[in-house]
Amino acid sequence: MEHHIIDIGPYQLAICLIFVVISGIASIVYSLKLEKDLLIGTVRTFVQLFILGYVLKFVFAMSNMFLVIGVFAFMIFFAAWTIYGRVKDKQIHFFFPVFVSMLLSFFLVAFLVTAVVVNVKPWWEPRYFIPLGGMVIGNSMNAIAIAIERLIGDLKSKRGEIEMKLCLGADSREASKLLLQKAMQAGMIPSINSMMAVGMVFIPGMMTGQILSGSDPLIAIKYQIVVMIMLTGSTALGTLITVLLVRNRCFNKAEQLVLKPD
Amino acid sequence: MGNNSVIRCENISFQYTEGSTLFSDVSLSINPGGFYLVRGPSGSGKSSFLRLMNRLEEPSQGTLYFKGIPFSEMTAPELRRQVLYIQQTPIVTDGSVKDNLLMPFTFKNNRTLPLPDDSHLRGVLDEFSMEMIPLDKQARNLSVGQQQRLCLIRGLLLSPSVILLDEPTSSLDDESSLIVENMAESLCLNAGKTIIMISHRGFRPHTIKPTIIEVKDGRLTVLPQE
Repeated sequence: MEHHIIDIGPYQLAICLIFVVISGIASIVYSLKLEKDLLIGTVRTFVQLFILGYVLKFVFAMSNMFLVIGVFAFMIFFAAWTIYGRVKDKQIHFFFPVFVSMLLSFFLVAFLVTAVVVNVKPWWEPRYFIPLGGMVIGNSMNAIAIAIERLIGDLKSKRGEIEMKLCLGADSREASKLLLQKAMQAGMIPSINSMMAVGMVFIPGMMTGQILSGSDPLIAIKYQIVVMIMLTGSTALGTLITVLLVRNRCFNKAEQLVLKPD
Repeated sequence: MGNNSVIRCENISFQYTEGSTLFSDVSLSINPGGFYLVRGPSGSGKSSFLRLMNRLEEPSQGTLYFKGIPFSEMTAPELRRQVLYIQQTPIVTDGSVKDNLLMPFTFKNNRTLPLPDDSHLRGVLDEFSMEMIPLDKQARNLSVGQQQRLCLIRGLLLSPSVILLDEPTSSLDDESSLIVENMAESLCLNAGKTIIMISHRGFRPHTIKPTIIEVKDGRLTVLPQE
């Protein structure tokens, strides 16, 4: 069966805005004060995705390894900056180590998936590497932000317990071990929950996209399985490395907790 | 300044945050086996002074010595095992009384220390008026006073030479406070421990003459024994 992808024309795209209008009306009627954010969000969705579309078209056409890696690094830089912005406590400067660890760990995961699992040749083929890499970054970004926020929050609120252990001869790793575990769990639980619910509760976006663009559902599910496992792996790796780095920055060489209470 | 001092502070200053100096240019010696009471108004820096002595805080200037060795030449866990700091509010972890007592021995730096057996733990608990407390009782179910004693005993198992008590009775009733205060005095008198204690209750040891360290207006003054 031949499948033609149905393009969405400008008028059809405009019809979508009716859903935004409905949401806007609901916001006004119930005084949700979300009209401005809805408008900005809608404009940004259009602008950002059109820019992305043209950038991807350019990158696909150029088919240059360094350009692909450059785009990937830029996406990670932006993700690390977003994480830094989301974590409210700014006593610890962790942007650079988080950026470097995300770059290395996500590159490793994306490389393994494209080069070994999907077996794309060359491994940096932009049509595969950038979307898969983007999913790794997007999913892990949330997990890392949750884990760092949790770790810093707990280190501040449980200062007494940490110092009790330090006073009894523990080093900073031993004193903060439980909090590190809790932060890791907080970051990883959403990805594990997704694995539990996938296919039963929701059909993932990537698989939906593939089916809509004409792929056999049995091919689409295999890609989705790879993606789910890849996301869990990258979330675990990214969360572990960044949480360890941030934890190390919360203590100094004299095994003192340098985070001050609020 | 005594050469045989257990802790010596040399020209130390301390700022909690940039620009807020709590005390400056303090020099004093703590003699082994002494009983010191730290006094001063709230916020004067009494707790910070104690936290400096087991290196939970770092002085902005000056040097601290433990038995003549600069703090910077010891690892923090090694120093803290010798200079035990007991917090104002007792903190016990999930698990039994025994789990709590043995918790310090799970730390890498304490693994060379002999692990106390049940009869030893029982003996120490009995010594500090906790005869009725079984080793397998959940530590969080103890009263606050019992938890404070448990915290003190947990630290004593590491055989520290100095014990810093940061208002250990502030959250206790009179009866529990008295037990903890008597424990502190007995540790000094019978076990030769150096005790440095902040107490708001106007506590005075029964038999030992304490040395008073007054923290006031950014200065620390050692008052003569009363």
